[in-house]
Amino acid sequence: MFSVVLAAVLVVGVIVAIVVGRERGSGQSLETVRGVVGSEKAPFFADPDVVAAFAAHGLRVTVDPAGSRQISEIDLAGYDFAFPSSFPLAERVQRKQGVTTAYAPFYSPMAIASFAPVMQLLSRASIAERMPDGHWVVDVEAYLAAARKNLRWDQIPGNTAYPARRNVLVTTTHPRDSNSAAMYASVVSYVANGNAIVRDIGGVPKVLDEVSALFLGQGYLENSTEGPFESYLANGLSYSPLVWVYEAQFLGRQFRRDGSIRDGMVLAYPSPTVLSKHTLVPLGDDGDRVGRLLTQDPELLRLAARHGFRTADANALANFAAGAGVDPPPPLVDVVDPPSYQVLETMLDAISRRYQQ
Amino acid sequence: MKALALAVLLLAVAGCSPSSPEDDPNTLRVLAGSELADLQPILDELKRATGVRVKLTYTGTLDGVEQVYSGQAAASYDAIWFSSNRYLQLHGGVDQRIGIQTKVMSSPVVLGVRQPVAKSLGWDTKRPTWTEIADAARARTFTYGMTNPSASNSGFSALVSLTSALSGSGSALTEPEVTGAAPQLREFFAAQALTAGSSGWLADAFERRVRGGDPIGGLINYESVLLSLNARGTLPEPLVLVYPTDGVVTADYPLTMLTGASAEARGRYDTAVEYLRRPEVQRPIMERTYRRPVVPQVATDGRFGGGTLVEVPFPVHLDVANALIQSFNDVTRRPPSTIYVLDLSGSMRGERIDALKSAMLGLSGADSSLSGRFSRFHGREQVTLVTFSSQPANPLTFVVPGDAPQPVLDEIRDVVNEWRAGGDTALYDALVVAYEIAAEQVRAAPERVTTIVLLSDGERTSGRDLAQFRDFYRGLPSQPKAVPVFPVLFGESAESEMAEVASLTGGRTFDGRSALATAFKEIRGYQ
Repeated sequence: MFSVVLAAVLVVGVIVAIVVGRERGSGQSLETVRGVVGSEKAPFFADPDVVAAFAAHGLRVTVDPAGSRQISEIDLAGYDFAFPSSFPLAERVQRKQGVTTAYAPFYSPMAIASFAPVMQLLSRASIAERMPDGHWVVDVEAYLAAARKNLRWDQIPGNTAYPARRNVLVTTTHPRDSNSAAMYASVVSYVANGNAIVRDIGGVPKVLDEVSALFLGQGYLENSTEGPFESYLANGLSYSPLVWVYEAQFLGRQFRRDGSIRDGMVLAYPSPTVLSKHTLVPLGDDGDRVGRLLTQDPELLRLAARHGFRTADANALANFAAGAGVDPPPPLVDVVDPPSYQVLETMLDAISRRYQQ
Repeated sequence: MKALALAVLLLAVAGCSPSSPEDDPNTLRVLAGSELADLQPILDELKRATGVRVKLTYTGTLDGVEQVYSGQAAASYDAIWFSSNRYLQLHGGVDQRIGIQTKVMSSPVVLGVRQPVAKSLGWDTKRPTWTEIADAARARTFTYGMTNPSASNSGFSALVSLTSALSGSGSALTEPEVTGAAPQLREFFAAQALTAGSSGWLADAFERRVRGGDPIGGLINYESVLLSLNARGTLPEPLVLVYPTDGVVTADYPLTMLTGASAEARGRYDTAVEYLRRPEVQRPIMERTYRRPVVPQVATDGRFGGGTLVEVPFPVHLDVANALIQSFNDVTRRPPSTIYVLDLSGSMRGERIDALKSAMLGLSGADSSLSGRFSRFHGREQVTLVTFSSQPANPLTFVVPGDAPQPVLDEIRDVVNEWRAGGDTALYDALVVAYEIAAEQVRAAPERVTTIVLLSDGERTSGRDLAQFRDFYRGLPSQPKAVPVFPVLFGESAESEMAEVASLTGGRTFDGRSALATAFKEIRGYQ
């Protein structure tokens, strides 16, 4: 028995020696902080400039990307912070972990990654409209009316851009896993409810059929928002004509000027839309430092804008847009609040159950 | 000293012992689909570049699904890697079994058509719809090969696209749509001239048919398999790739973590995924395996045609997916005629005959696993049993009714339970009997897919030898000569003779030495 314990101590000792040795060998001693973050923020944390900005404060931040709704459910032991993509989900993590602090360093409206010819097509069907400043707006009410009639792309007159025998549906992620899908449910339930937020659980059944059909009709859905957006970038129209994304995902790629946003790709804004307020919940002092730095450090705030996030500094995003030679993101006029956490969860659970039936 | 030895032991148990390459601690253990074998050179480079060894262990699609949702996979593997997770994720509770998934490459399931056929149908200049393809199949101006949808993802993907298109559905399929499309599907599958349990073998068998002067119109397969076949340069002229305008299903090869894997394994996963998605790695993946890149920095080259593809919504309910497979097996496919030539000689006594009985009883309904359910004898299937020892026994033929299969399955079960081992091994005499039966059956019902399974646990000891069988086979008319033999290696099987029988008749061997029932199920994909 004694020798087993000794052996275990020996093993641990060896591993510690290796880790410590490696740390010293690299010439700097950074404190490692582990977080679990909504997958759409993974590129931000992987950015070498972001890594350097944290290193300047003595931190090495490693993150596991996950669907934001998964973040509120998984075991968070071993993590220093959780960083889901919305305030309601952060609130749930707070309650589960008994934490009262939270940081909301940046936000992003929900948008639709699409293609100019597809938008022109939808404008002929009175579903989309081009604003005087050039950006496209999708009328969610007209979209729902079309979906209710099972409008197919090949039924839109004069369609040569995408004459597919496929219903006009926005591609989302799975409502079970991902915050962006919850944001989609927020928008469409608002409109389906006669342009009013679904206030209580009793109001869910009234909109459930219509909202569910928008998910189930799409077929198989991916778990996290980074997946559909990457497929949109890699395969374009062959993946999907309409992809539900965070504005930041699209802008961040445009600002990078890496050629991934190709000619004809456009970002359309649903009307109404909702804001995804990325909210960090610290699970200890190290996580708290990360939250404070993201909210206050000028360099990290600048980098957040470079990744397409809107921050307290309204000019930051416009500056990057100008630098990248793209149109500045439009001011947001038609923004609605998501339903309360409880109502939204009830709705999403009910939709998810329909996948099992 | 004792403590040190224990420490070493603990290290070994924890998977940290850097001894042989087999237990390289820096290994990501992956349960994978066999079609990923062509990535090995890329994985070797990954190991050189990052130190992480990605070790693929191959298994069939359904078996993989079963291992994941039962939780069994997590005991031996850190991750899974199949052509798609879509069917897997229809199973309740799977989301607790799998973690992060990252797409590594993609390949749509499309048609490869021989040039004269494509030209005469006009498909070389204008992309057809699935309905037009089905029309050509009905008129027999287009015959084709396709994998079995219950055994292989490419066949299942084709079935989903085709059924969606024929049903006119613009959203995910429903059960009534599946049932409603059955009459058209039956006409389409009547023109199927070649089947297989794997996409790679289908391409090989197609090539053999073309080079043997018995060509068929084309085949349905991954774009990557079709482009690889063209690149081999073994066909008289390259196939025309045909992308149906009304939809395809695309395999996206997600490398997927299993829950419960260690943090170290997760680190290796991150390293592997980061490497595989580098633009300078995505390009060689595209150039060597003909799969499409998934990062926007790498553009597909001119070989990847088709213009805009329409991705067909994949079913969201397990019942719908299973109804598609069930309907294919029991209603819409060409009904199988399956001849089993089975060794009951003295050497089969004991465990061996028990294993054989258990494998056959499994196919008669005793195997309730997922793969067992789909590999059961199907409605309308004709099953012939030719057992042999010193000489072939009288053949027994059963026809499984489409509506009420149970009584006939029970009859097969009763026969199997009565088998006793004893006597010599008149292997080739029994095979000759099987071909005589096949000749009759093909004559009586040419619409059936007729195949022979041969199981023997040793050398032939009486009756004809291989040379005499070869002469007999060469003298056969084109039917039943086209009937393939699938020999199962078992016990002390004469491996090289079995391989020769397989290649002579256009079949392939299966290894049943470690798990006979698994081999018997795998063969179902070829029948």
